[in-house]
Amino acid sequence: MPEPGSLASTRREVVAGGGACVVAGTAAPPARAQEARKGTPNGAAFPVALVVNGQRRELDLDTRTTLLDALREHLHLTGTKKGCDHGQCGACTVLLDGRRINSCLTLAVMHDGAAITTIEGLGTPENLHPMQAAFVRHDGYQCGYCTPGQICSGVAVLDEIKAGIPSHVTADLTSPVALSADEIRERMSGNICRCGAYSNIVDAMADAAGMTDAAGRQG
Amino acid sequence: MYLRPSTLREACEALVEAPAAILAGGTDFFPALADRPPPPRILDLSRIDGLDGLEIIDGVLRIGARVTWSRIARAPLPPCFDGLRAAAREVGSVQIQNVATLSGNLCNASPAADGVPPLLTLDASVELASSSGTRCLPLAAFLLGNRHTARRPDEILTAILVPVASPDATSCFLKLGARRYLVISIVMVAVLLEVAEGRVRSARIAIGACSAVATRMPELEAALIGASPAALGSLVRPHHLERLAPIADVRATADYRSEAALELVRRALRRCDGAAA
Amino acid sequence: MRFDTPATTNPIDQLKVIGQPTDRIDGPLKTTGLARYAYEQHDVVANQAYGYPVGATIAKGRITAMDLAAARRAPGVLTIVTAENAGKLVKGNFNTAKLLGGPEIEHYHQAIAVVVAETFEQARAAAALIAVDYAEEAGSFDLAAARDSAEKPEASDFGGPPDTSVGDFAGAFASAHARLDQTYTTPDQAHAMMEPHATLAAWEGDKLTLWTSNQMIAWGKADVARTLGIGKDKVRLISPFVGGGFGSKLFVRADALLAALGARASGRPVKVALPRPYTFNNTTHRPATIQRIRIGASAEGRITAIGHEGWSGDLPGGAPETAVNQTRLIYAGENRMTATRLAVLHLPEGNAMRAPGEAPGMMALELAMDEMAETLGLDPIAFRTLNETEVDPENPKRPFSQRQLVECYRIGAERFGWDRRRPHPRQVREGRWLVGMGMAAGFRNNLLATSGARVRLGEDGMVTVETDMTDIGTGTYTIVAQTAAEMMGVPLESVIVRLGDSSFPVSAGSGGQWGANNSTAGVYAACVKLREAVAQRLGFNSSDTVFAEGEVRSGNRSVPLAQAAASGALTGEDSIEYGDLAKTHQQSTFAAHFVEVGVDAFTAEVRVRRMLAVCAAGRILNPKSARSQVIGAMTMGVGAALMEELAVDKRRGFFVNHDLAGYEVPVHADIPHQEVVFLDEADPMSSPMKAKGVGELGICGVGAAVANAIYNASGTRVRHYPITLDKLIGGLPENV
Repeated sequence: MPEPGSLASTRREVVAGGGACVVAGTAAPPARAQEARKGTPNGAAFPVALVVNGQRRELDLDTRTTLLDALREHLHLTGTKKGCDHGQCGACTVLLDGRRINSCLTLAVMHDGAAITTIEGLGTPENLHPMQAAFVRHDGYQCGYCTPGQICSGVAVLDEIKAGIPSHVTADLTSPVALSADEIRERMSGNICRCGAYSNIVDAMADAAGMTDAAGRQG
Repeated sequence: MYLRPSTLREACEALVEAPAAILAGGTDFFPALADRPPPPRILDLSRIDGLDGLEIIDGVLRIGARVTWSRIARAPLPPCFDGLRAAAREVGSVQIQNVATLSGNLCNASPAADGVPPLLTLDASVELASSSGTRCLPLAAFLLGNRHTARRPDEILTAILVPVASPDATSCFLKLGARRYLVISIVMVAVLLEVAEGRVRSARIAIGACSAVATRMPELEAALIGASPAALGSLVRPHHLERLAPIADVRATADYRSEAALELVRRALRRCDGAAA
Repeated sequence: MRFDTPATTNPIDQLKVIGQPTDRIDGPLKTTGLARYAYEQHDVVANQAYGYPVGATIAKGRITAMDLAAARRAPGVLTIVTAENAGKLVKGNFNTAKLLGGPEIEHYHQAIAVVVAETFEQARAAAALIAVDYAEEAGSFDLAAARDSAEKPEASDFGGPPDTSVGDFAGAFASAHARLDQTYTTPDQAHAMMEPHATLAAWEGDKLTLWTSNQMIAWGKADVARTLGIGKDKVRLISPFVGGGFGSKLFVRADALLAALGARASGRPVKVALPRPYTFNNTTHRPATIQRIRIGASAEGRITAIGHEGWSGDLPGGAPETAVNQTRLIYAGENRMTATRLAVLHLPEGNAMRAPGEAPGMMALELAMDEMAETLGLDPIAFRTLNETEVDPENPKRPFSQRQLVECYRIGAERFGWDRRRPHPRQVREGRWLVGMGMAAGFRNNLLATSGARVRLGEDGMVTVETDMTDIGTGTYTIVAQTAAEMMGVPLESVIVRLGDSSFPVSAGSGGQWGANNSTAGVYAACVKLREAVAQRLGFNSSDTVFAEGEVRSGNRSVPLAQAAASGALTGEDSIEYGDLAKTHQQSTFAAHFVEVGVDAFTAEVRVRRMLAVCAAGRILNPKSARSQVIGAMTMGVGAALMEELAVDKRRGFFVNHDLAGYEVPVHADIPHQEVVFLDEADPMSSPMKAKGVGELGICGVGAAVANAIYNASGTRVRHYPITLDKLIGGLPENV
C-alpha cells in the first residue's frame, strides 16, 4: 500500500472527487466570462494577470500567445528559453503553481491568476539559489541555453522526491523515495542538453540536495 | 476564435455553432502544429467545472476530462490500476505529465498513445457529451484508427469510466523505445491478471504501437485461463499475437516490433505474477 | 606575433591562473537566465517587429506562382519579402544553396519568404496564408543509389586531396596474411543544438547590425556584406552568447538574411528565429556516408595495407564528408590508399558537424580495427599498439609534434579494468543483461589559424579583453580571462572579457576544435604588446619585467599595475600568426575511449553503463570546462552510435523526423557517470599556449567504442549506424 503520509493530499483528492483540484486563480470577471463564452477573435487583446516571481503582472495578450512567449516577448523574462516550442526539449520549464511544466505547451490566457516561478525568480548572480550555485560549481552546463530549464526542473525534482512522489525507476513504491543518481537521471530526462552536461548536472543536483538537507530549504 | 466557456452546456453549444479544436492539457495540440499557427477556432476546457474529478463511485473510477497523468500517478488507487499508473509515470516528461490529460491522450488517438493499452485491459469506456445528450462508448469502439475516433465534431469527451476490477487483480505496463525517456514507443504492453487459488481466473492483455489502434489479444487471454501464474511466460506463442499489424518506421522494423512485443508480454506476465505473489 | 619556432618558457607556464579548474566566469549569468542570446535583445533597439519564415515544400523545382495577397491583408503584417522583391542577392562564400530561394528551389524548406508583422503570432498566422504553386522536378535523394555516380571532388583546404596513395596497396592487400574488407555506413545527422538559429537585424541608414547566433563572426560579416552587396564596413555582427552550434552556426543562415531583408523592407528592426522544424531541413546537417575499409596484416598483426574509401552526397557545388582523412595518419602501414567521392544529392545542404570527417570516419575505422583484431586473435589494444606510428605514415620524415596515444590506451585500460574484459563475445551475463566492454582510439587534428585580440589596462586597473571570438559553450570567456590574468599578473576578478562582436579584432572563431588554442594565443600576443606598453610607460626594461600579484616588477622596483594606467588607459593589440610548424610536424590530438554496455538478451535494448576517455591534447587550459567539452562529445557519440539518424523521404527528398521527438538525441537517462583523464602535456609546436583542442576529440571514436562493446556483449556486429534494437535482436541468444 502507498505510504499514507506521502500520499495524504492525493488521497483526499480521490475521496473528495472533483472539488479537490483547485485551479489557482479565480473565475474570470463576469463581463470577461461572457466574452469568453462568445469567443475572442484571434489576435484580439485578452486581459491576463499572472503572478510572476511574486509580482502581479497584467497583460493584454493575443489569445494565441503561449505562456512562454508571454514571459519572453511581453515580460522580457528571457531566461525561460524557446528550444523547440513543441514540448520536446524542456528548455522552457517553469514552475506553475509549484509544479514544473513546459511553458511552450500552454496558452497564457489559460493561466489567468496563476503563480509562475521562472529562473529569474530563483536567484540572482549576486545571490544564487543553491541549485544555481551547484550548477556553476559542477559545470552543469555549457552553452547555457537549456540551463534555466534544467535548474527549474532540478529544483522541482528535489521537491518531488521530498514529497515522496515515485518515478518510473523507483523500485519500491511503498517506502519513501530515496535520492539517487538513477532517480535524478530519470526525473531530469525531460530536459535535453545537447552539449551533454548530463553527468555534471547529476553531480550538481546531488550536491544541491545535500546542501538542502544540511541547511534547510533556501530560496 | 478563442472560446473559454465556464459550463459544459456552453461548450456544447459552441460546438454546435462550429467545430473547434478542443484544448485540455495542450501537450499534443502544440506539437501537431509544427510550424503552423493554431487552428482558427479553439475551445478551451480549462474553466469548466466538473471536468477535473477523479473518484470511485459504485465500483467505477470516473476520470474527468481534465485529470492529468500526474494526478493518476499520485492517486492511491487499487492494484488493478498499477499498470495505468505506471504508464502515467512514463508519458513524456514530468513537465508533460503535470498538464497532459488521459482524455486528450485518447482523443488524439495516436497508435502509440500510452494510455490506451492499460485502459483497454481495464475495460474502460468514454463518456461523450453534446447538446443533444450524453453517450458512452467502450474504448475499443471509440478508437477507430490512427488519429481517428468516434467522437463527433459536436461532442466533448467528458470522462473516462473504468470499472474497478477485483481486489485480487494485478496489472502492469511496459514500454520500449530507442532512448530511455521522452520516447515515442516502439512497443507497449499492458496486462491485467486475476488469480484465484493458484490459477489464472482472467487475463487481459493489450498491445500498443504495433497496429493502427492498440488491441486486446483475446486468443492469448483465453490460452492463459486456468494456467499456473508461474508458467505464463512460457505459454505465450507467436501465433497469439497474429492480430498485430506492426509497421516499419524510423523507430524500428516490423519484425522487431513483433519480437519485442512477444518478449514484453512475457515480461509483463511475469511481473504481474510477481506482484500477485 | 609570429609563431614559427617552438615555444620556450613563457609566463603561461606559471599556471597560476591558466590551467586551473576555475568555475566559468559567465556561469552566474547563464544559471540565472541573464545571459542574453540573439533573440533576447529587447533593450538594444526599440520598436522590434517579428519575422516568420516560409519554406519550400518541394525538394527541387520552381515556384510557378506565389499568392501573397491574403497574407498582406492579414492583421499586423508590415511587409513580405521574397526573392522577387528582395533586390539583388549574391550567394555567400560559405553557402552551397541560396539562403532565399525562388523561383528556383534547391532543397526542401529552403526559405522562400519572410513575413514581417507587429507580433510573432501575427507573422506566423500570415505566413500560413501564403499559397505557393510549384513545378516539382525529380531529384536524387538516396546515397546508396547515387553511389556509382559519385565523382572525385576538388581538393580543399579543410578536406585535403580526394585521393592519396603510398606504396602498392592493391598488391600488399592481396598478399596479406589476414584481410578485412567491409563496408560501413553512417546516417545523416542533425546538430540539434538547443538554441535555434536566430537573428535581430537593425538598419541605421546604410549600416546593418545583426545580433545573431554565430560561431564565426568574421566569416559571417563578410558573407552578409557579400550577399547584400554592401561594404563589409557597413555590417556589424554581435554574438555574445551562442546556444550551441556544433558546426550549424559556422555560416550565416537564413535567419540572418531574412531578418536583414525584413528590416530593410519594413523600416523596423526585425527578429527571426527558425522554428524548430526548419532547423532540420532549412539548415545544414552532417551528411551520410558509405565507407569501405580494407586492412591487410601479417600473421603477428602488423598492418601491411590499409585502404579507406568514402562516399557522401551534397547539393551541386557542395563538398564531401571527408571520412577517410584520419586513416592517412593514425596507424602505421607501408601500403596505403584513401579515396573520397561525392555524389549529387538534392537533400538539404550537407556541411560540418562536430569533428566533420573524423566523427563518422572513426565510427567506421575503429569498428574495422576491432574486427581485424579479432580476426588476428589479438586484444584490440595490443593490435593498435603494434601499429602505432611516431611519424606521418605517408611522409616518415614528418614526425608528430607529440603523440601519447599508447599512453592513453595504457592508462585507460588500467582505469577501466580492461583486463576483466572477456575476449570472446557473449560471455558475461547479469540477469537479463549481456554485458560487454569496447574501446576505440580517438583522433582529431589540431588546426592553427590566425587570431587577434585587444587588451586594455584601464585607469582602475581592470584588464579588458576584446576579440570577436565566440563562446558556444566551450568555456572561452573563462580561458580568455585566465590567459589575460596569467599574462598581466592579476587575479581573474580583475579581467573583463568581451566576445563575439565584429568591431573587435578578428579571431580564429569557434570550429574544428581550433578555438581554444588559437584564441588564447591571440590574447597572449595582445598581452605581450600590453606588457611592453606598461613597461615603457613605467620606464622599465621590458625584457626583465615581471607581472605578478597585481604588480609590475623590474630589478628591485615594484609598482602596482594600475599605476601604469593612472595617466590614461593602455592598449595592446596583436594577432598570433603561424609559420610552418604545422607543416614540418603533424599536430594531432589523441584519446582512448572505453565503454561498457548492457544489452537486453530479449529485447536488444542497449544501456551504456560506464564511459571513460583518456585524452592527450596538449596543455589543458581549464580542466573543468575542458572535461565538460569531452563528456559532451562522448554524449553526442552515444547518440551517434545508438539513435541519431535523419530519416530520408527518398521519394520527396527531405528529412522526415524534423523535430526533437522524431530526431532522438540522448537524454539524462541514457548517459551514465562519465570519466575523463587528461594526460599532463604541453605541446610547444602548437602555440605559446602549448594547448590543442579537445572539443571534437571527445566524439571521435566514441561511437565505435559503443559498437565494439555491443559486439563484445552480444556477439552481433552491426556495421550500419545507428545500432538500433531491430538490427541487434536477430543475433541474440534468446532469439536464435
